[in-house]
Amino acid sequence: MQIYLPIAEIPVDPFIVILMGGAVGFLSGMFGVGGGFLMTPLLIFYGIPPAVAVGTEASQIVASSVSGVLAHLKRKTVDFLMGGFLVIGGGIGAVVGIFIFRYFRAIGQIELFISIAYVLFLGGIGALMLFESVRALFRSTSNVKRPKRKHRSVEWMAALPFAMKFRTSQLYISPIPPIILGFIVGILAAIMGVGGGFIMVPAMLYILNMPTRVVVGTSLFQIIFVTAIATVLHAAANQTVDIILALLLLSGGVIGAQAGARVGTRLKGEQLRALLALIVLAVCVRLLFDLVMPPSSPFVVKAPA
Amino acid sequence: MMRFAAIFCFAFFASGARAADVAVALTEDVVEVTTSFSGARLVLFGTVAGDEYTAENYDIISVVRGPSTQFEVRRLERNNLIWMPGDAVTINDAPGLYLTGATRAIEDIVLLPDQTAHGLGVDNIELDLLSAGDNSNETSAYKAAFLDEFEFLGLYKNIVGNVEYAKGRLFRINIDLPAQTPIGQYEVVVYLFQDGILVSQDSASLNVNKVGLERRIYELAHDRPISYGVLCVALSLIAGWAAGAVFRK
Repeated sequence: MQIYLPIAEIPVDPFIVILMGGAVGFLSGMFGVGGGFLMTPLLIFYGIPPAVAVGTEASQIVASSVSGVLAHLKRKTVDFLMGGFLVIGGGIGAVVGIFIFRYFRAIGQIELFISIAYVLFLGGIGALMLFESVRALFRSTSNVKRPKRKHRSVEWMAALPFAMKFRTSQLYISPIPPIILGFIVGILAAIMGVGGGFIMVPAMLYILNMPTRVVVGTSLFQIIFVTAIATVLHAAANQTVDIILALLLLSGGVIGAQAGARVGTRLKGEQLRALLALIVLAVCVRLLFDLVMPPSSPFVVKAPA
Repeated sequence: MMRFAAIFCFAFFASGARAADVAVALTEDVVEVTTSFSGARLVLFGTVAGDEYTAENYDIISVVRGPSTQFEVRRLERNNLIWMPGDAVTINDAPGLYLTGATRAIEDIVLLPDQTAHGLGVDNIELDLLSAGDNSNETSAYKAAFLDEFEFLGLYKNIVGNVEYAKGRLFRINIDLPAQTPIGQYEVVVYLFQDGILVSQDSASLNVNKVGLERRIYELAHDRPISYGVLCVALSLIAGWAAGAVFRK
């Protein structure tokens, strides 16, 4: 059976697409990550035009973040003020990202640009995660306790203008660093079709020094707004959001996420991180392989955007 | 049905005007692309009028030509480590689909100059190449690459031996449109050849349209993109919430 996608304008096998959504959903449930950075490359490998993969994935992340955001709202683990500044930065970043995306699409280099962006980010993040988790694995076997981090405001951020109190995060800092962080993640969301949690969460912990308790909820809060903005922008500027594709991915994704979450509770945190790092690096290597190896056909043909 | 009636009248009464005349009609002049579209079969009916006509002495070639659009062809060039697309060669007015059908191989029916003159066969599609960079002297390589790609996709194809004679002067040509068939206005032309000379031709038009949900989504996305984007976000929110609610129980 085949379904003809209205925006991608190609026929796909719906079962394979649902399966892909399920597989990525499983991983994201298991590791507690959004999964956009795995889904977008997978869609491109399957043959979805990269521009459609990115635009559609943005809308799918909106869907897969809803239940997480609601759960965190209920537990009151969202810093709305911080989230608000992150969203402001993220919205501006998404607009800039769309302009960059359009530019590379117009000169016909968008595929290359997306691939390189993914290789750099997946390579960097994957290597860091692997390094970090292998170190943690050794530490856990030698029973050395990690030094406890103190939650206090970073001085240089408090010294910047407009410094204010973020009550939920127990911080006194300027809103400029969160706006800049949101801006960077917003650009990534628009260009790569990711939520950006894999950058946002470490940055909130180690740069903004936010308490662990509110990091995930606030990150999800920002992701849902920024990917929603990115979805509307992609739809308006590029006409590359395929709602049928998004819904197919979603239907596999929710089931996969539930199964993944169950398996995830049985594994140790360090093992999970090492496993995720390996998966991230594998996707990175595959993309790099396509960039470096001689192409099967020396020409590319397509309709100009 | 009117067209069929017309063809039959034509076949029986209009004879004698020329040695042989061909007329053609499609069983359906609209192909509907729905969500479950995976290709379609186009059936072409035709008839030949004329006193001298016998199927053995004549050859028939049909050409289905899809909507013309612009395409870009780029050569992948090695830049340090990675392969990146170079300057584009633009191809104007290339048909999005080009399928021929014939009683015999086209080169057995028509001599090359006439193939080129009438644009018969994949290799004789008239392509207007515009070079942007310093690759102007090798446009033929780009043209060949373009044709290869479209043949690979099944969008350009020469089919031989798909002309079936029904009763005497009636014939039927089956053409399978691929799943990637582009949307738009098509032209179907049937040529009648006698000893390599074109004696008659007739054409019919065909529309390939998206219909139903398929069409509504496409039109909304292109005519009112902002509303469509907002709708996508709303649907995602509802779907995500509903999915979460189901699994919480």
